[in-house]
Order: sequence, then structure tokens, then C-alpha cells
Amino acid sequence: MMWRDVGVTLILSLILPVVAQGARHTPPGKPKLTSCRSPDKETFTCWWEAGSDGGRPTTYSLFYHKENSETVYECPDYHTAGANSCFFSKNETSIWVNYNITVVATNALGNNFSDPVDVDVVYIVQPHTPENVTVGVLEDEDGPFLRVSWEPPSKADTRSGWITLIYELRVKLEEAEEWEEHRAGQQKMFNIFSLHSGGVYMVQVRCKPDHGFWSEWSTASYVIVPDYIPRERSMWILIAVFSAFIFLILTWIITLNRSSVKHCLLPPVPGPKIKGFDQQLLKKGKPEEVFNSLVVQSFPPRSTDYEDLLVEYLEVYVNEKQELMPEGKDLQDVGCLKSKSQSDNDSGRGSCDSHTLLMEKCGGVESKDESSYEEPELLQGQAGSWERLERGDSQVVDTPDSSDGRVKTWPLVFSPSIHGSSDNHHYGTLEMPKQHSTSEITYSVPDHLFPTSTSFPHHHHPEYRDSLGEYSEYRCSRSPSTGVAYHWEARHPTQAHSNFNIRNLERQKEATGLGLPPSRSMEYVEVQKVNQENQLVLKPLSSHGRGPFQVQFGRAGVDYSKVNGVNNDNVLLLQRQREMAEAGQYCNYREKEGAEAERYPTQQQGKTTKDGPVATQLQESTCLTTSGYVDTAPTMPTF
Amino acid sequence: MNMMQVMQSVVWAVLLWPCLVSLGVPLECKDEQGSIILCASISKEKLLDRVIQHAELIYRVSEESCTLFEEMFVPFPMRSQRNQAGYTCATKAFPIPGSKSEIQQISDKWLLHSVLILVQSWIEPLVYLQTTLDRYDDAPDTLLKKTKWVSEKLLSLEQGVVVLIRKMLDDDMLTTSYYEQGVAPYALQPEVLESVLRDYTLLSCFKKDAHKMETFLKLLKCRQTDKYSCFLH
Repeated sequence: MMWRDVGVTLILSLILPVVAQGARHTPPGKPKLTSCRSPDKETFTCWWEAGSDGGRPTTYSLFYHKENSETVYECPDYHTAGANSCFFSKNETSIWVNYNITVVATNALGNNFSDPVDVDVVYIVQPHTPENVTVGVLEDEDGPFLRVSWEPPSKADTRSGWITLIYELRVKLEEAEEWEEHRAGQQKMFNIFSLHSGGVYMVQVRCKPDHGFWSEWSTASYVIVPDYIPRERSMWILIAVFSAFIFLILTWIITLNRSSVKHCLLPPVPGPKIKGFDQQLLKKGKPEEVFNSLVVQSFPPRSTDYEDLLVEYLEVYVNEKQELMPEGKDLQDVGCLKSKSQSDNDSGRGSCDSHTLLMEKCGGVESKDESSYEEPELLQGQAGSWERLERGDSQVVDTPDSSDGRVKTWPLVFSPSIHGSSDNHHYGTLEMPKQHSTSEITYSVPDHLFPTSTSFPHHHHPEYRDSLGEYSEYRCSRSPSTGVAYHWEARHPTQAHSNFNIRNLERQKEATGLGLPPSRSMEYVEVQKVNQENQLVLKPLSSHGRGPFQVQFGRAGVDYSKVNGVNNDNVLLLQRQREMAEAGQYCNYREKEGAEAERYPTQQQGKTTKDGPVATQLQESTCLTTSGYVDTAPTMPTF
Repeated sequence: MNMMQVMQSVVWAVLLWPCLVSLGVPLECKDEQGSIILCASISKEKLLDRVIQHAELIYRVSEESCTLFEEMFVPFPMRSQRNQAGYTCATKAFPIPGSKSEIQQISDKWLLHSVLILVQSWIEPLVYLQTTLDRYDDAPDTLLKKTKWVSEKLLSLEQGVVVLIRKMLDDDMLTTSYYEQGVAPYALQPEVLESVLRDYTLLSCFKKDAHKMETFLKLLKCRQTDKYSCFLH
């Protein structure tokens, strides 16, 4: 049994392929007419594609009949147009007549008919491409242009009017991507304008009858456009040259008036000064020192120190004479503090710019301390703080001068409550205020009168500020190494009077101190408060037992030092009127450039006659005008 | 003096008399009895050009109308099936030549007459078409305008061909509306789809006939200008 099965299987497996092979032969698949085209409206060709051939050789035949006629004809020509095509000659072609065409595929097993297609020759016209496409470059007054001309395809009979063709051409630069197409209608010539000079153009043409299909594009024709300058471009060139010329002239004019233009456009803005920052050091490339200078040991003020500072009095020392700087509870006067070099970055103000200047001034002053004047030295009652200050200064400042322990007094300079970040800032504040530009002075000036905002009513500050608003002219610049030389610049002489009234306070304190010169003792004045009228109520703490002084800005009174005015040289004429006859003191505050310290005494003397008693002793006091503070050192007894 | 003035005026009148006559004559000369007719008219060539332009325009508009109609109303499988039962183009009274060689063998006269017959045969069907198109609900305005325009222009074309015949052939015997009866073979009672197909057939047949007119006229023009080169192709 099993063998039989195997045998049957074998036989079947052998027979089946043969049978299957035979079964693969089928009638042919359905052919399909793809297209019929006529190039000239007089003949036409139809193409078909074959379906599956069913495994057997298949023949194709085409049959047609015209509309309104049942006679079926077969294709007259299978070969002219290639494989799977039928070509209808002129004799077999009728126009305006529908042809009903069918293709039949036949093989040994059967045949298959395609779907019939209706064709009217008139609507299947697709001509050949236009011939003899020529492109030429012609000249015009506006520039060159292309003239493209062509001829209709030879097969299409346009001459007799049998076919009417319309043409279309397209143009592009060789390297461009998009074609630019133009309809040319029935004409055989076309002009193209607005060419790129020196460009290579490609041109192609095609045509279409008014009732048929577009032909293929002709082969591209290349043409090179000669170089030329388009008229509008030459105009632009002219305009560009002209504007460049005008621009050069303007630049030249501006360069000639550089400074005034700069002054006009960029009004000088006082630059910020970083307290303790020495640009010279930076330039020398010693960053440690530079940054050390920024570190102010005295900030934040230690409470104890601060208390001391508040309470203690600053003693002003001068070389020979010392001037007492009265220190109120709320007042700390600091003279010219020797600060770490702080270059003043005031913009636009050359006068105060040079550190060397200040150095000279300060240094010069210092050097002259012994000779011409005495620099008042602020010595804190609490020696520690001052010493710290000095030490701090000396740490930061290279100059050994500051280690004298002398601090140039600048009455208005000291502002304890300024920004500071370090412990030493408190001390730094002493130096600080004047480093700032004029604008800063506005707040610093009152500040220094009142050491801390916390300890003093704030409201006075703005008041002071208001009155001191014009203090913008004051600038403090630091000398790089010698210390702070505060540089006062009186810009508004009219206001100087009131401005300096605050100074006057200092002066007065100085004066009060100075007023003691006969006794050569230090006199301290304590500022008790500031009343509403911007008056500092001073109370002398000395044994002289003088009553509290009232300093009024702008008001003449006893024991005031007030500014008489500012002379032409921007010298602030301070006048001290003292009860004591010998207490007259004149200090000239003057903006000073260069070492003019020597002049001060003379100047001072000259001024002293102006107003009030003049303390002869004071005449020798040199005012450190460069730094802008009054140096009453000469008149003060030195400690 | 009086005599002189009268003499002058008479002379002037005699000299200017042809002008006077010609000014008053319309473009289309009508036969008038007896007298010499001075027609202020255009030349044959210009007239033929104008007629050809008319025919071209008519063909183009008819082609656009047919396309519009086909897109709007004719279902896709039925397009270009022009041999629907009963909806074939009406045969004309005389055989229209079907090839260029045949046409070239036709004389000018017969060409012109064929054109005229064609034109005249379509005047009424187009009017009929307008009424049927109005019945369509959503026939686009452009289609209606175009068919209206075509039927008007067809009348002008007829007039022009008549004048042309008269000029070229010196054939005065033609009058307008020389066309056959039975120009409304499509006036059947259709259903909706049939009416659509009927109108579609009408439009496409008209398009074909317009092309015929245009071709005939163009061939005629070639013969007018250069008879020999026209036949060389």
C-alpha cells in the first residue's frame, strides 16, 4: 500500500509540471491604446501597449471604423511608426471625422479586444518642434537685447493656413534654475530685454496649434551677452560716488572739529571711581596690590569702632600746627585722606584726570608740609581707628607718605556711609567720597557730615543734597599713590557760596579749631544736629565753652567760615569770621592743576583782605587747593 | 459777378459730385437700379481677414464653452463619447471635404458656400441651446454668456460671408437665412441625462463645425494671396 502511494505521488509530481506548463498558455491579455498623435493634421499614428501574451506568440491588429459608417478597416501600416503602432497616411486620414479604433491581440488560444477609442484627428495634433531657432544680440540705446527667431516645423503646413500655430519660448541664464516663459502668439520672432551683462543665456521654443497639444521644446540655443553697463546702474554708480565724496568731506570737517563735536555729542560724564582702585598699579601689572586696594579693611564699621568714630573727635594734625577738626557726634571730618591710589576716571575733565597731578599735589603738599604749610592731619580721638585708617592706607598705598599718620584734612571729604564692602570700608569711606565724581559728591558731601545715615536723621541728607545739588562740580580724584587728594572744582561760582557753606562748616570747625590758634590748642566742635533750615547746630566741646555754633549755609554769622565767593580762577574764597580776631582764616579753595601750592599763601593773603579778620597765622596756611581742601595746618598748632 | 459765382458753384458741384454721392453710401452696397454705385467699402482682403478673425474667435469661444459644459455636467466616463446613440452630429446637405487634399480640390466658390451653409445651419440650434441652458440650475454665467456671444457673432459672420461671396464671386443672388430646414434635430423629449448629453453633443458638433469654417476661410485666404504656394505643400 505504501509503495503504491509513493509511486502515485512520484508520478503525479512528474506529470503535474508538464500539465501545468500546458495550462500556462492562455489567451492574450487585453491590449490598450495609449495615444494617437498627428503631427500635421494630415496623418496620424496610434500606439498601443500589449497585455500579457499568455505564453504564446501573439499578434496584434488594429481595426477601425469611421463614424456614421459601419465599414471596418484594418490598419494600413504597422511598420512605419515602429512596434505596436499603426500609421494612417494621408489617404486614410479624414479630419472632422471620429475614428473608432480597437486593437486586438491574438494568439493560438484566443484573442482579446481592447477598449475602443474615439479619435478625431483635428484634436490630436501635436506638431514637431520649431526649427532653425536662432538667437542674436542686437544693440539698442538702452543696451543690448536678444532677438530670437525660428521657423515652424517643416511638416506643419502653416503657409496655406491649414494649421495655425502659436509659439512659446523660454529663456534663462545658464546658471539659473527657473525658466522665464514668454508667449509669442503667431509671430516667429521675439525680443528679450534687460539682460545681464556678460551672461550666457539659453533659449528654447515650442509651438502648438490652436486646437491641439504643445510640441516638445526645441534644443537649447546659447548666446553670450557682451559686457555693458546698464544705464540705471551707471546712474547708481554716479550717485554712490557723489555720496562718498560728500561723506568724505563731512568726515574731514568733523575730524577738524573733533573736540567740539565730541563735546557736543558726548557731554562729559563723570565716571565712576572705584575707591581704592589704582589704575596705575593695574598698568604695572600688580593685580594683588590693585585688588588689595579695593579691600577696605574698615568696612563694615564695627560697631565699637563706629561708636568711637561717632563720638570721638577727629583731631587734625598739621606739621607745625595742628588744627582741630571739630567732630560732632555725627560728624566726621576727614581731610585729604591718603587713600590708595585711586585714579580718577572722571571723563571729560582733564584737569583732574592725571593722577600724577594729584600725586604731585598731595605729595607735593605733603612734602611741603614741613616747608610751606602744614597739612592738617586728622587724628581720631580714638587713635585706633585712625591708625587703622592710616595703616589701611599704608597697606594699600605704596607711598610711605601716608604712614606719616597725617591725613590731609578735607572737611567735606569724609563720608562714612558710602558703599563699601569690606570691614575697612568705614575707613575707606573717609577717603571715598571724594573719589567719586561730581555727581557722587552730591550725596557724599552731606554724608560726610553725618557719618552714618543710621545715626543721623536721614532727612537731612536730602536737604543737604539739595543745597549741595550743585556740588556736582566737586570732584574728588585720588592720587594714585600718595593719597586722596580731593580736587575741588568750583564750576558754579554763584553757587559756590552756598556750596561751600558746608565747607564752611568744616572750615568753621577748622576755624573753631583754628580759632584756638592763639592758645594753640585743639578745639573740637560737635555737631549736635541739623535743624530744619539746614543749619548745623554745633556745639563746641572744648573748654572754651563757646556756645553751640550754628552754621548756616549762606548766612553770615559768628564762627562761620563761609565762602566769600569764587574768583576768576575758580578759587573759593572762604572766609572765616571768628569771634576771635585772630581766628580769621582764609583759605582759598581752588581748583588747581599742577603744583601751585606755593601760590596759595600769596593768594590767600590777597584774599584775606576781602572780608573779615584775617588770621595772620592763617595766612600761611596753605590750602590744598589742588585737592580742594582747606589746609589749615599752618595755623594750627601741631601736636 | 453773379454769373461768375454761379459758374464757380456749378463747376464745384460737378467736380465734387462723386464725393457727394460716395459719402452717403453705406458700407454694404445694395443693389440699386440703374445708376453707378460708388460703394465706400473695404477691400476683399481686409474683409476676408475680418471674417477669418470672426471665425477664429467663434471657434475659440465654442471650445471654451464645450469644455465648461463638459466639466460641469458631463459625467466622466461619457466624455469624448460622441457616438452615442442618436446623438451624432447632423449631416449636412452636401458632403464636407474630409482632408486637405479634398479641400484643395474644391473651388473658391464652393468653399465660400460651404462656409455659409455651415454658418446658417447653426444659427437656430444655438438659439435653442441658449434656452435649454437657461433651464439648468447651476449653469455658470460664463457659459451662458459665451453661448450668447457665439450666437450673436455667428450672425455677423453670416453677414460677412454673404458680403464676401458677393464681392469675390460677384454673386448677388444670396440672401440671408439660406439654410436648410431640420436644423433642430435635437428637439427630442429627453430625460435629464439625455438632455445633458444632447446639449453636450450639440456643443461639440458646433465646435467642430466652427473649426471647419475657420479652416476653409484660411485656406481661401491663402488662395487669394498666393495661389500656387498654397497647393505646393
